[in-house]
Amino acid sequence: MVIFSREVARRVFAGELRNSNLSFRVGGDGPGDDQHQYAPTYLLTPTGAKCNRVFLVGTLTEKDDIGSDTEYWRGRVVDPTGSILVYAGQYQLEAAQILAALEPPAFVAVVGKPSLYEAEDGRIILTVRAEAIQKVQEEVRDRWILETARLTIERLKALKATAGPSPDFTTAEHAVSIPDDVLLRARAHYQTDIEQYKEMVRKALSSLKEGKGAAAGGAMPPEEKPPEGKPRGGAPKRSWLELSDEDEAQDVETIDMGKRR
Amino acid sequence: MKEIADQIAARLKEQGAEVSPEAIEAKLKLLVETFHVPTDEARRSVMNSFLKEHGIAPTAPRGSQELKIIQIKEAGMWVDIKAKVVQLWEPNSDSISQTGLLGDETGAMKFVKWVKADLPPLAEGKSYRFRNLVTDEFQGRFSVKMNRTSQIEEIDEEIEAAERVPAQQVTVDSISQPGIWVDIKAKVVQLWEPNNESISQIGLIGDETGVMKFVKWAKADLPDLAEGKSYRFRNLVTDEFQGRFSVKMNRTSQIEESTEEIEVGSQAAQFAGAIVDIQKGSGLIKRCPICRRSLAKGLCGEHGKVDGLYDLRIKAAMDDGLSVQDVLINRETTESLIGLSLDEAKQMAMEALDHEVIRSLIEERLVGRYYKVEGPRIDRYILVETIDVMPPLDRSELDRLAAEAEVV
Repeated sequence: MVIFSREVARRVFAGELRNSNLSFRVGGDGPGDDQHQYAPTYLLTPTGAKCNRVFLVGTLTEKDDIGSDTEYWRGRVVDPTGSILVYAGQYQLEAAQILAALEPPAFVAVVGKPSLYEAEDGRIILTVRAEAIQKVQEEVRDRWILETARLTIERLKALKATAGPSPDFTTAEHAVSIPDDVLLRARAHYQTDIEQYKEMVRKALSSLKEGKGAAAGGAMPPEEKPPEGKPRGGAPKRSWLELSDEDEAQDVETIDMGKRR
Repeated sequence: MKEIADQIAARLKEQGAEVSPEAIEAKLKLLVETFHVPTDEARRSVMNSFLKEHGIAPTAPRGSQELKIIQIKEAGMWVDIKAKVVQLWEPNSDSISQTGLLGDETGAMKFVKWVKADLPPLAEGKSYRFRNLVTDEFQGRFSVKMNRTSQIEEIDEEIEAAERVPAQQVTVDSISQPGIWVDIKAKVVQLWEPNNESISQIGLIGDETGVMKFVKWAKADLPDLAEGKSYRFRNLVTDEFQGRFSVKMNRTSQIEESTEEIEVGSQAAQFAGAIVDIQKGSGLIKRCPICRRSLAKGLCGEHGKVDGLYDLRIKAAMDDGLSVQDVLINRETTESLIGLSLDEAKQMAMEALDHEVIRSLIEERLVGRYYKVEGPRIDRYILVETIDVMPPLDRSELDRLAAEAEVV
C-alpha cells in the first residue's frame, strides 16, 4: 500500500505569487525536469517557496462566470500586497458552487494549486485553481497575514544565507528548511531582490498595524488602496527595532496611538 | 574490514588455501574504498579471486555444507538444509518465484526462490532437502536464497518444524525491527476501512507504551477484532514502512480475547495550523454495530448488510505552511465544534435526503480557519481531544515580526 503524503499548502503573499513564473516537475530528488506524467508540478517563487499547493486568505473583490457551456468561475482575491485570480470550474465543482454563491466583497480562504498560463499578449500569468474556498472572518485573514509574513521572512533569511561571496550553508539557521538547491535556483532565476520582498512584508504587516482601517474594507483593488505606511521616516522603524529590548508595552501603546491618528 | 578479511581467510583455509588476512584486506579496501564496490560484492569478488589463484573452483558448489537452521550465522555461505516449508508468502517482486518460511527442529528462517532459478514449486507443509542455497543477512536476521545452482528434492521424512523463531513477548514501543515474530497484549484502538481485498481488518492496536498499525490478512482466517476490546496476540510479524512499525496477523497467528483492560498510552501531540481539507468519510456516517467499522453503501466489509449506527466524525488535514497533519475528531468534539448534535445532524440529512450536507456544513464552518489541536498521536493522526480556535492576533507577535522584517 503506497501512502501518498499530502502536499503542504505554502503561504505566499499575492505580491510574490504574481511575480512567479517558474514551474517544474519533480520526479526524483530535487528540482529537475522530469517527464514522468504523475510527477507533481511545483511553482518556485522568488523567495524560494516551492509550491504544489497554496493557502491564501484575502478579500474576494470580484467574481464572474467566464464559462461558455459550463459554469467556470473566476474570482479575484486581494491581500495587502496584491491580487490573484482564482478559478473553479467543473473539475472543482464544490469550490465553484461556493464561489458562485459568494457575494463580494468578502473575506475568503482559498486552498488551491498554482498554475501558470500565457496570456494572449505573451505575459505569463499566475492563477490558482481552487480546491476549496470558504468565506471566513476577518480574524482569519489577519492571522494569515501574520503567518505569511513570518514564513516569508524565514524564506528571505534562508535566501540571504545563500548569498554573498562565499555562501555559508552550514551556519545558515532558519526554521524553514529549504534545500539550498531550491534557494539557489530561485535566486538564479529571479535575481531576487531581498529588499523588495522585505518591503512587501513590511507593507503587509503595517496593514495590520493600521487596525480596522482601509485594509479591512478590502473591497478596493490594491491599486486604489490608500497609500500604506503613514509618513514615517526612520523613526518608527527604529522604534520597532527597539521594541524587543525596551519597555515593550509602552512602546506598543505609543505606536498604536500614532498609527491610529 | 579486518573482520571480513579474517572471515574470508578462514573460509579460504577451509578450502585449502592459505592467504594472509592482510593481503585479503588490501584487496577488499581497494574494491570498497577506491572503487565503491558494496561490501558483499567485494567479499565475493575477493573470495573468488583467491580461490582462482589457488586453482580452486570458485565458490565451489561442493563447498556447501549441510547445516541446521540455527547454525546459519553468516551471510554469503553455501549451505544444504533439510527443512519444511512452514509458510508461503506473497512475493513482492517479479524476480521472486516463491518466498516464505523454512523450518527445521532448530528454528525457522525466511527463504527466497528466484524466478531465474527455475526450480520446482514448493508446497506449504511439505519437507524438502535443499542443496546449494546461499545464506543472506538483513539487519541481523538470516535467510537463504535459492538460485540456479540450487537443488530441491522432496523427502518423505516429515521434518518437525520448530515453533519458528520463538516469538517474544513485547510491548509496542520496543518494536524496532521488521520481520520479527512477536507476541503482544494490546487493545484495538481503531479499525479502518480496508482498502484491499486481501486485508480482513486494519487499524491500530495499543498498549501502555504506545500505538501501532496492524493488518489482519483475509487469508489468515482469524476471528474478528472489535474496537475497544483487548486481546492477547501471538505470532505476529513486525513490518516497517518509512520508519514506522506495524504488525501483520497471518495464518499462524493466534488471537485470544483478554479480560484484562489495557490502558493505551501514547504521546500527546499538538498542532497549530489551518484546516485545509475535510476528507471523505467525514460528517454523518454509519458504523457496523458489531465491529464499529464505517459502512460503505450500508454494507460492512466484514459483516455484510447490517443495521448501521449513526455517528459523527471529522477527518481533516491541517497545515501550518511547513507540514501537514491529519487529525481525527470524534463525535463529542465534532458536535460542539459545528454546533450540531448527532440527532440534529440526522434530522438535517433526512430533510436534505443527503448525508453529504453535513460534510458541506463542516467544510463551511472549518475550512480555512486556524485551530490548535491536542491529543494522542496515533500513526499519522492526532486523535483530537481538545480543539481551539487560534486566539485573535497577538500584538506583540506583530511587532516582533515587524522588527524581524527590518533586520533580514
